[in-house]
Amino acid sequence: MRLFKIKRENLIPFLRGLEGFGELWGPVKKGESFVYARAKPEDFDMTALRTIIPAKKFFLPSKFTSLKFKDNRWEDDYRPRKRVIFGLHPCEIHALNIYHKFYTRLYPDPYYLRAKAATLVVGLSCIPDEHCFCYATGTSTVNEGFDLFLTDLGDRFLVWVGSPRGEDSLKLVEKFLQEASQEDIHKYVSWRKKRDASFRLKIDLDGMPEIVSFSYDSPIWEKMGKACLSCGTCTMVCPTCTCFDLEDEYDLRRDEMKRERFWYSCVFREYSMVAGGHNFREARSERLKLWYTHKLVGFMSEYGSPACTGCGRCVVSCPVGINVVSVVKALKNEETAALWVKMEVENA
Amino acid sequence: MAKPKIGIYGLTGCAGDQLNILNCEDELLKIFDIFEIKSFVMASSAADEESSLDVAFVEGSVSTEKDLEHLKEIRKKAKILVAIGHCAVYGGVQAMFMGQEWEKMYRRVYGKKNAVTLTKPLPPKPLAAYVKVDAVLPGCPIEKEPFLKLAGLLAKGVIPRHPDFPVCAECKWKENECLLLKGEICLGPLTNSGCGAICPSLNIPCIGCWGPIEKENWEAEAFLLKEKGFSTGDIVKRFSIFGGQERAEKLKKFLESKEG
Repeated sequence: MRLFKIKRENLIPFLRGLEGFGELWGPVKKGESFVYARAKPEDFDMTALRTIIPAKKFFLPSKFTSLKFKDNRWEDDYRPRKRVIFGLHPCEIHALNIYHKFYTRLYPDPYYLRAKAATLVVGLSCIPDEHCFCYATGTSTVNEGFDLFLTDLGDRFLVWVGSPRGEDSLKLVEKFLQEASQEDIHKYVSWRKKRDASFRLKIDLDGMPEIVSFSYDSPIWEKMGKACLSCGTCTMVCPTCTCFDLEDEYDLRRDEMKRERFWYSCVFREYSMVAGGHNFREARSERLKLWYTHKLVGFMSEYGSPACTGCGRCVVSCPVGINVVSVVKALKNEETAALWVKMEVENA
Repeated sequence: MAKPKIGIYGLTGCAGDQLNILNCEDELLKIFDIFEIKSFVMASSAADEESSLDVAFVEGSVSTEKDLEHLKEIRKKAKILVAIGHCAVYGGVQAMFMGQEWEKMYRRVYGKKNAVTLTKPLPPKPLAAYVKVDAVLPGCPIEKEPFLKLAGLLAKGVIPRHPDFPVCAECKWKENECLLLKGEICLGPLTNSGCGAICPSLNIPCIGCWGPIEKENWEAEAFLLKEKGFSTGDIVKRFSIFGGQERAEKLKKFLESKEG
């Protein structure tokens, strides 16, 4: 593994140099939140922690045409543009690794693979806020899944190289690079100590797969189901949610059929409905239970890690406070302030 | 293959759905090319009402006896009947008042009992209250893109499926901040998607014009809004615009019970 550094004042020209690979995307402010957008590097917000929608959108967009059909021939013209995506934190890169496993292991997804080949991932270190819990999911540092990774040490950035493609991309920015020194590493180690001590959200996921499994018949799911709006926000903002639906359309303008592929959600009622109208998970509580069992148990037995990277998006996005933190606390009989608790008190 | 024969009709409503079909200016020639239009009175008075139809598009609610007769005639001659717009699918804003409340409202507007003599008024209802409806396209008014999608599938002999997931999905695809979390009465979680989350994308809360999703959890949303400090009156008002009287009454009862 090679380690370089760049001076802080060279960050913007460094990112501009990487544009030689492809379009430059990074976090910019939207209202009080952040989104990944194509922008000039000077407009990137270096304080951004979690964007509304995670970086999965670069690999499989929320909606795209997966194939077209005309005159008895079909074609698939999904050709993702070459992109440099900057500002991905360790939780985000871990999520992309989970995404990668899911979309390559059993049935390699051609759309995903094309986007993956067209994307240069440039990570960035971060300092947690009150909703971050990547220390609990073991995803606060990252060793693979990125091309380059920058650690912000104030006056300089350390640059880790994580792939041959990352190595190649450095040719575009060679003039800004210096070899890192022993002093840089010492500085990094003390930064890490400070960073690791700054987590404010206290949550412990030890024994979680078993706790969730043993809670299968717990009345807690029913209570949560009463508060859940089934809006699907948790699944859209979750960086590891992969579900999608397909729908055929006829485009009368061009006289061609197209097959649209779009993000879907297991908390939607129709998700578990089969031909004939039977629904395996008619109750909202059943659908919630599925999501949490998948994230904290099922994925673990299949891929060896939970499908949660502690990014905190569900924590800040669910309108009624159903999220990994509140659900884990409830399953461990700890107190939470979620809406389902208030509803229960009112109904008592 | 012969061109599918279609008719486009309006019952009681603002005619905004038919207007939005006419607003598909760049695609109109294509539509006229794909379909044989037998009746579209808003566009042309040369209508052939004797012909049978493959597809009839009907907008507006059934609000008079004349509407009901007209609807039954259309149903008889059409293989596929499509309700377009909120009025035809759910009864529209006018369905806010029904039952005794409706009688009172009617008197207030029209005065004496027999003031309207051409036809007998009925409490506004959606098409499905009287006849079999094969497909629906909600919205107030319907939008161009969803209409073209619907028309395209019908042209290929496919009966379009009504989506059953909320506006919030499309809103997140657009990477919007959640208006419910920002303290607005946004009905996105309860409302059918398909509109592309137009209003929330412009920072305007959803008022539910695509109608409720199946098994909507309005209790939780009402409870949440109450928690955020909105009054029963404000919540009921917002839910009533496109939700109909029945839902508004249940909601009012629910919220008043929370007031103790």
